[in-house]
Amino acid sequence: MDIVEVKQSGVSTFKLQGRLDSNTSQSFEKRLLDAISDGTKNVIIDFKELDYISSAGLRVILKATKTLKRQDGKIMLCSMQDYVKEVFEIAGFDSFLPIVPSLEDAFKAF
Amino acid sequence: MNTTGSVSFELRNHLSELATLCEKMERVGQALNLSRRCLFEMNLALDELFTNIISYGFQDQSEHFIRVHISADHDVLTVVLEDDGIAFNPVERIPPEIPCTVDECKVGGLGIHLVKNLMDEIVYERRAGTNVLTLKKTIEKS
Repeated sequence: MDIVEVKQSGVSTFKLQGRLDSNTSQSFEKRLLDAISDGTKNVIIDFKELDYISSAGLRVILKATKTLKRQDGKIMLCSMQDYVKEVFEIAGFDSFLPIVPSLEDAFKAF
Repeated sequence: MNTTGSVSFELRNHLSELATLCEKMERVGQALNLSRRCLFEMNLALDELFTNIISYGFQDQSEHFIRVHISADHDVLTVVLEDDGIAFNPVERIPPEIPCTVDECKVGGLGIHLVKNLMDEIVYERRAGTNVLTLKKTIEKS
């Protein structure tokens, strides 16, 4: 999996490409939590180029969301393929995680 | 593999084998002309079960093999997973409560919960020291 991190107007966007599974979730978790511990409070995860996510990926998103909440930060998820979104819905994560159609919509939330 | 064919393979109990599983499923997907969603759901269910088996199934350091048998009968895909790990019946697992808030959300049991929702039928048997899990799913073509 490739991760491109873009900082713009106080918001860090993580663009994910490829597969977020048990093999790749640890490196993503480190990137994300390192950024948060370095002071990042506003995070967007862009799923546009992500083909695959498993529960290992959901756990990373959950951990980051809990960490950000403790620090009065905010996370937005955007541009998911419909079958990726379905995984968030089955897990019930859509009840507390904001999932929006586009990156532009995600920026508007900050 | 065609609409009534089958394929079998073995995976070592190592996380790197997830890539092999993915490749094999891609080939099954092409042979059966599965929709992207259907292939994704099959991949996800097998990934969760395989990851569970290799994470919790074996108490020694030896190499083990997980056998996968996939067969198609027109519009139904059947997958049989066999491993010689400790007895584990995912069908009996109590599903996690669907969370309303981030604080209520716990990660345990999430993988099995996904599998149960993505497959039409799951049957578990323990046969002579082997876990045998049979999954069925109606095929959605592209």
